[in-house]
Amino acid sequence: MKFLGLIFKNVRRNAIRSTLTAVGTMVLVFVVTLVWSILNFLDAVTAEKTDNLKAIVTERWQIPSQMPFSYADSLSDGAARDASDVRPLDSMTWQFYGGTVDPAKKTIENMLFAFAMEPDKVGSMLDELELNSLPAAKADSLRESIACLKDKRSGIIVGREKLAQIHKRVGDRFKLTSMNYKDIDLEFEVVGVFPDGRYDKSAVMNRDYLNAALDAYPRSHAGQKHPLADKTLNLVWLRVPDVLAFNTVQEQITKSPFYTSPAVKCETSSSGIATFLEAYRDLIWGMRWLLAPAILLTLSLVIANAISISVRERRLEFAVLRVLGFRPLQVLALVVGEAVLLGAGSGLFSTLATYTLINKVMGGINFPIAFFGAFFIPMQAIWWGLAIGVFTALAGSVVPAISASSIRVTEAFSKVA
Amino acid sequence: MMMLALSTLLLAAGSSRGIWIAGAAALALVAGLLIGVKIPLRYLVRNLTVRWRTTVMTALAFVLVISLLTVMMAFVNGMYRLTQASGQPGNVMVLADGATDETFSNLVAPDMADLENQPGILRENDRPLCSRETYLVVTQPIENPVPGRPKRRFLQVRGLDDSRMSGRVHGLDLYPGGAWLSDAGVREVEQKSDVNSGNSAAQPLIEAVVGEGVAHVLAVDQKHDLGSAPPRERLDVGDVFTLGDRKWLVVGVLKSAGSTFDSEIWAKRGMIGPMFGKENYSSLVLRTAGANEARKLKDFYNNGYKKAAVLAQVETDYFDNLAGTNRQFLFAIVLVTVFMAFGGVMGVMNTMFAAVSNRVKDIGVLRLMGYSRSQVMLAFLLESLLIAMVGGAIGCALGSLVDGWTANSIVSSGAGGGGKFVVLRLSIDVPTLLLGFVLAMSMGLVGGLLPAFSAVRLKPLEALR
Repeated sequence: MKFLGLIFKNVRRNAIRSTLTAVGTMVLVFVVTLVWSILNFLDAVTAEKTDNLKAIVTERWQIPSQMPFSYADSLSDGAARDASDVRPLDSMTWQFYGGTVDPAKKTIENMLFAFAMEPDKVGSMLDELELNSLPAAKADSLRESIACLKDKRSGIIVGREKLAQIHKRVGDRFKLTSMNYKDIDLEFEVVGVFPDGRYDKSAVMNRDYLNAALDAYPRSHAGQKHPLADKTLNLVWLRVPDVLAFNTVQEQITKSPFYTSPAVKCETSSSGIATFLEAYRDLIWGMRWLLAPAILLTLSLVIANAISISVRERRLEFAVLRVLGFRPLQVLALVVGEAVLLGAGSGLFSTLATYTLINKVMGGINFPIAFFGAFFIPMQAIWWGLAIGVFTALAGSVVPAISASSIRVTEAFSKVA
Repeated sequence: MMMLALSTLLLAAGSSRGIWIAGAAALALVAGLLIGVKIPLRYLVRNLTVRWRTTVMTALAFVLVISLLTVMMAFVNGMYRLTQASGQPGNVMVLADGATDETFSNLVAPDMADLENQPGILRENDRPLCSRETYLVVTQPIENPVPGRPKRRFLQVRGLDDSRMSGRVHGLDLYPGGAWLSDAGVREVEQKSDVNSGNSAAQPLIEAVVGEGVAHVLAVDQKHDLGSAPPRERLDVGDVFTLGDRKWLVVGVLKSAGSTFDSEIWAKRGMIGPMFGKENYSSLVLRTAGANEARKLKDFYNNGYKKAAVLAQVETDYFDNLAGTNRQFLFAIVLVTVFMAFGGVMGVMNTMFAAVSNRVKDIGVLRLMGYSRSQVMLAFLLESLLIAMVGGAIGCALGSLVDGWTANSIVSSGAGGGGKFVVLRLSIDVPTLLLGFVLAMSMGLVGGLLPAFSAVRLKPLEALR
């Protein structure tokens, strides 16, 4: 305990140096935490799961996938025809509807893209919005919004950030001038807000509203169908219990004679996302193997620099410690302990601050990779700071600590004399 | 405050004019200090070499920050060059009204004839100089994918009515030995080499003109027997690959390096439209006499043309808009660099504060010898800048090694989706190196300033006591 007290005292002795090192550590841990949070999320969404996995069905050859809505029901059933066929546990369909609240001056801020889907599926199929996994208060609020979306076909649930961008609140009405469905401009009423997080910039509308508008289109256009009338289904999501079930459902779908024009493909969601991310392969590689290591190395250097200066200035003190009976290993532990205390403390503080700043204040990191709106700092990142601080401190202090522990007492005193 | 200053500096230096001014200012600062400092330079250098371990560690922090900045800037430079080199200032690109990108645009055939016969469009052999195009992003299953890597990739296919004319409009030519697409768009040939196996050998091959970048990507799939010739770097005329349910024959390779067309496969629109379910056109590109004429024609389509609702853009503006992702990446780079630089500055400060505390007596002697406070301050500042200069120079040199490397990415306007998958070439230019130099000097300046001030506050007699 006395030894620990000595370490604390030593850290406090040169306040400027300790502060500079701690601030440097905090700033660099902040950047590493941001980079690793993005990589951690991408790794998680592209990792193949073995159970309770999600599959996506899309057009086989082309992106964006545009299938006829007539595919929806049978695909949602996993193309099961016989009683012995495997059926998904759950499913949802996605139709994309995008527009702007200000057609005269389109900006990213006044554009809104909504998933047109079945309201009930919001709480059962959308990642991180499953009602049974949300905290009670958030689940109740979302349940209420879903009920409103079912009751009111023109309802829309919007993320907090997007709602602020279009200057609307719950209960407000607005008109979207469509950008992808020409002449299908729809009026909406905001019936709810998503819980804070991944869906801050997203929106969900009732698919029946879009489909009814498409059905009504010929009545105002001399009997002509909307040009996209047969291409409104963009994605079908299926939840299957395990890989075996996925393989069976995949075979049912790809071998079904119903899906020929266009043909469809079925893949796990992780596989589909990985294909999209392939375009960013080099960027992700650079983040993983150049950026993060370079920051860690810089951090080690900053700590090593501070510790080696400290050791050089305290050679006489270490000689005195040796005379007082401290063993070389204890001197080594003293120096390493100082570095680790400084690194671990500032690392932990940094990740705690990063978590709060990014998740609670800034509403995520906006980084232009694929279709992900924002990235958040995972809870486990709080321990990354501690680990980064400890390991970089160890790496940076080992050499100065060995130098301190191997100090020759007579040599140190002779220089003073 | 320090981070705000670094961000402002980086953003200001980000503009081409700003970087030259900042670079000149940094050089002037060093030159001014070298001239102004009366304390012998040899003494300053000697102080750095005596504590060489600390000096090296501090310089290494500079090396890491600056080399990383250089590499990241090379990536963004590559993206900017790609978007800047892809359009013709005299071309007007017409999309369907409301479409945010080619991917989502639908122009119907009956409108095309009228659109391309408006005044202001150049003509050749009494035909309008224009390119009717259908742009598609197609999924290609990868034969024998690398374990742990995706099983599919996206390829960009551009369906054209007349590929020779499209080449003229886009200012692209073929490598010798290549040919433009035939009127039929298909060819009966004996296969030279087969990229993927398939069971559609009985069907004629679809002719394809490929960009150099995508020719490299597709060559990765080439079957290669051990002991035979080394794997080919790219597909060439006569090679065959599989896409959709059909086999495709490379009839030409575009000289497209440095443009977004580098990552495209061109084929006959009449073949690929029905094949992938996109019957309509996505864009019409029209050639005018020059940039001014192009702007006039664009304005006419957007404001005066009533027969169809279209969105016209000068082609260079369209590609400028695709630089949206570049700007986002640039912002991320500035953010990361500022934070890394801040960390590095802490290291410099530690070094310089230690240098001051170790040389208290030296400072006292210098003052007694008649050197003024400002001279002592400038000396410490110069030491800090010397470390920065060496570290920054090595960092720039190391970062420059990536010049010419290729990388995959996406360019997009960021509004409403779309965008293009591209193969870009990392590019180091003088402004990038200057930016690295300026940042290194700024770190040295910021990191050395406080310790230098603390040095001048020492009183000579107290220092010697």
